[in-house]
Amino acid sequence: MNVTIDTRPVAEPTPWLARTPRIRSALLVAANLLGLAAFVWPFLVPSLAGPSDENHAGDGPWILLALGAILLALLFLELGRGGLGPKTVALLGVLGAAMVALRLPGFVAGFSAMFLVVLVAGNAFGPSFGFLLGAVGTFASGLFLGGLGPWLPFQMVAVGWVGAGAGLLPHGRTWTTRLTWLAGYGVLSGYAFGVIMGLWFWPFLTDGSALAWSPAASTVTNVRRYLAFYAVDAFVWDTFRAVGNAVLVLLVGRPVLGALDRAARRMRLDVV
Amino acid sequence: MTPANDALRYDGVSFTYPDADAPALVDVDVTVAPGCFALAAGPTGAGKSTFLRAANGLVPHFTGGRFAGRVRAEGRDTLEHAPRALADVVAFVPQDPGASFVVDRVEDELAYGMENLGVGPAHMRRRVEEMLDLLDLAALRDRSVRTLSGGERQRVAIAAALAAGPRIVVLDEPTSQLDPQGAEDVMAALQRLVHDHGMTVVVAEHRLERVAGWVDVALGFDRGRVTGGDPATVLRMLALGPPVARLGWSVGWDPAPLTVRDARRAARAATLPEPPGAAPAAPGPVLAETAGLTVAYDGRPALREVDLRILAGEVVAVMGRNGAGKSTLLGAFAGVREPSAGTVRIGGHAPRPGIDAALCPQDPDRILFADSVRAEVGATLAARSSHDDPGAWLERLGIAELSARHPRDLSAGQRLLVATAATAATGAPLLLLDEPTRGLDPDAKARLVRFVRGRAAEGDATVVATHDVELAAAVATRIVMLGAGDVVADGDPAPVLGDSYVFAPQMTRVFGEGWLTVEQVEVALA
Amino acid sequence: MSRTAGAAIHPAAWIVWASCAGFAAFVTTDPVYLLLLVSVAWFVHAGAPRTSTSARSFRVFIVAALVAVVLRTALAFLGALVPSIGAVTASTIAFAFLEGLRLGAILVVFGTFNGVTDPFGLVRMAPRRFHEPALAAALALSIAPRTIASAGDVREAQRLRGLPVSGLRSLPSLAVPVLERGMEEASTLAESMDARGHGRGTRSRYRPQGWSVGAIAIVVTSIVAAGIFLGASIGGWGGLHPATSPIGWPAADPRLLTAIALLATPGLVRTEARP
Repeated sequence: MNVTIDTRPVAEPTPWLARTPRIRSALLVAANLLGLAAFVWPFLVPSLAGPSDENHAGDGPWILLALGAILLALLFLELGRGGLGPKTVALLGVLGAAMVALRLPGFVAGFSAMFLVVLVAGNAFGPSFGFLLGAVGTFASGLFLGGLGPWLPFQMVAVGWVGAGAGLLPHGRTWTTRLTWLAGYGVLSGYAFGVIMGLWFWPFLTDGSALAWSPAASTVTNVRRYLAFYAVDAFVWDTFRAVGNAVLVLLVGRPVLGALDRAARRMRLDVV
Repeated sequence: MTPANDALRYDGVSFTYPDADAPALVDVDVTVAPGCFALAAGPTGAGKSTFLRAANGLVPHFTGGRFAGRVRAEGRDTLEHAPRALADVVAFVPQDPGASFVVDRVEDELAYGMENLGVGPAHMRRRVEEMLDLLDLAALRDRSVRTLSGGERQRVAIAAALAAGPRIVVLDEPTSQLDPQGAEDVMAALQRLVHDHGMTVVVAEHRLERVAGWVDVALGFDRGRVTGGDPATVLRMLALGPPVARLGWSVGWDPAPLTVRDARRAARAATLPEPPGAAPAAPGPVLAETAGLTVAYDGRPALREVDLRILAGEVVAVMGRNGAGKSTLLGAFAGVREPSAGTVRIGGHAPRPGIDAALCPQDPDRILFADSVRAEVGATLAARSSHDDPGAWLERLGIAELSARHPRDLSAGQRLLVATAATAATGAPLLLLDEPTRGLDPDAKARLVRFVRGRAAEGDATVVATHDVELAAAVATRIVMLGAGDVVADGDPAPVLGDSYVFAPQMTRVFGEGWLTVEQVEVALA
Repeated sequence: MSRTAGAAIHPAAWIVWASCAGFAAFVTTDPVYLLLLVSVAWFVHAGAPRTSTSARSFRVFIVAALVAVVLRTALAFLGALVPSIGAVTASTIAFAFLEGLRLGAILVVFGTFNGVTDPFGLVRMAPRRFHEPALAAALALSIAPRTIASAGDVREAQRLRGLPVSGLRSLPSLAVPVLERGMEEASTLAESMDARGHGRGTRSRYRPQGWSVGAIAIVVTSIVAAGIFLGASIGGWGGLHPATSPIGWPAADPRLLTAIALLATPGLVRTEARP
């Protein structure tokens, strides 16, 4: 008698929301859009914050609280999907530790070698794992370095998105194709991460200058203002991250991806 | 369901890993009775680990692959029950317990398995206390698992696996990372589980001299096939055994002894001539030298005023318990441990790492990174701008046939040989080997011994830090014994090892000082 | 109950305190309230049991808070360099300074929070459904020091094998062994977790964190304090935002001063050293 065992984890009792795959993926897309809205709201709903007064400092907290709540809800939805199984948990632990370790020494301006882990692991194990790793690893490094605060959900989601995106890239047929995609994405995500993280506190820099958010202005004006703010405030800083990502991917991407792929085969990984 | 008369029952089990050509287990029929202490013995890759992992369904649930036959643990079929569903039946202790810990504190680690099973807090608390007592861990309960010594870690891992109440324990090479005393503690703890509590224990182990005397039955593994029986017969069949057993077979003692005590009894009739003198070493020129060498970490000396000379053509075994300063001494010779006082000189100057002295780490995975064995050695040669053929180095270690393989796909023993080749390829006159026999099966060990002897014959020097007294007895021309950072003995192997309670090889224990290896005694008795 | 339960304040109480104190700082730019909040956070931190690492983390936050104030103020001067922004006046500087002070106060509050909480305790507290991601985070925390040590070991081992260990070209020979060993550990860990029943069903907890009277008091007083600030923010009383153009005197409403005093409760609750 020959039996070939399906190595998928034994079915877990799943929460009702997640029971039908279609509802589940729709829910995920909705949650991520909502998460995105938590970052880009200053462009979408200029009138939400009410009329502009000279010191409109009173508006910020409310909006930020709402944002934090939305992002936490997104995280909980994504992280709380039942039954990751021991392999995924162990891998998250080990790769999250690598993120913690690399966050300590490896940063030059906006660049941190931590992103390499998220990029390659997301690319090797897929978007869900990439998101989980980004979120869990960022949380762990927040705990490790004592960086807990209202900014943490924003960071967790943003790094999670970087990992999820890396998992959506085409692998192509050759190493060159795969690495080119990943390096290009490293540049793109290096800037995108800065753009999105800049957004969360930009509305609170209410000094009334041409670079600041104006609740009364139109979407186009605010986007223009933000881009000006970003160009002055963060562009150079983020260039370090974009270039650093690409250099690291090109330099060690191949052996590291090779090692991850082999480990995935050896562990019979069916991640998430 | 079969009544659970047997603790473990394998019926016609065959298993092939995914992507593997040859099966890891072939038609295995084995039963292990309750309260039995069983040893799984055999060369690397013969199927021991696979057999252990089949006991709780890690094979095939965790690994995938093609599985035929049935394994029952206390009557529970492992095909129908995933490993997690067997957690209360079989305790599994992996080879590297340090990597198996889930939480930080010893006490919480013991409770983790019970939390998974939903055991109530009061019951859990009681079980934790029992486990702390059973494995003598009460003093460690609040410690972080990261700070434990190797033997402590192994005992915590056993307690953690047992806490949820299984009556079967399977352990993969539980003593491979321990010094003789730590190994003894672990084996004694396991025997207590068997004798006093009627548990069933199965261990896989390479270092048969450490376990052969403790077990009731042995399972002999040969290319996936398993033969069970009493330890003496099985080990005889495999031609694997502790030195006393190997001697017994070759001189025809029946039954062949497995322990020193039995061997003494058997040897009573034998008369031996005077022990052989020290091998007449041709004293070469001084290659490396320390004078008043002291190395301190945070003000605590790990080495104190060490004066040593390593001569060309010598093989020096550095021995001593864990923490005695062996690794520090190797590091000082290699030029990476700054002396806080005194000097280290190789060829008249301070050693340049990787040029005057090269060190092969005890864990070969620290240095293997290329995607073929040949490329691994090639990387070293390229860094030294050498035009040697990597194949020649593989030849010298007897691993030429592995040239195109990926280092990750090799066994632990083979990987160590590759790492040794990659290190030796630096061409450094002084080669340092840190605990080279971890996970090494006798065949790989024999290749390593041949290589080291070959180096000595060519006038290169080798320093081996090891716990393995049989290796030291086989290969060393000199023994340096360290204790708490001091050189406590330095001289020919026979007197130094003969004078030690802990580090005496079995031949010395049976026949007295001067007898070190089975070969010597064989010749003398012939 | 476990021996240490109740000895330390429930991590959730600290979360509530930090959120409420952070909220209070968030809704005001009044320097009186902000400076008082900073002193309260300092007082709480001083009264809590500490380890050397937590003390270091608190110092980092204090430095970050000072940097925030200075930077924010400096940015107002910098604004003069951009033509369209216009002139730098005492008002814009005062406004920027108060904004910076607000950010600084929040940083000090969370510095205290980071300094007094045990990361493992925080992770243990995760609700059942989030047991696995929380466990992964806890594993990352406890494996991280080993990963750092492993990187050091690999670097030294490659050096002793004669390979170059500096420069970008050496990265593969350093990164691959660290990663491979990590993956090996992950495999062992996963096996061990599986063999010990991970994911089998309903879990129980060995170390249920008790709610002591002190912890409950912290939660209640924090919520009351935050409620008072909330009322002030909605009702527009209490002078949460002093005028900066022209610069006016900051207010000090007794109700809000009481609220800030309530936030000092954790500093008064006796806590034993955490394990």
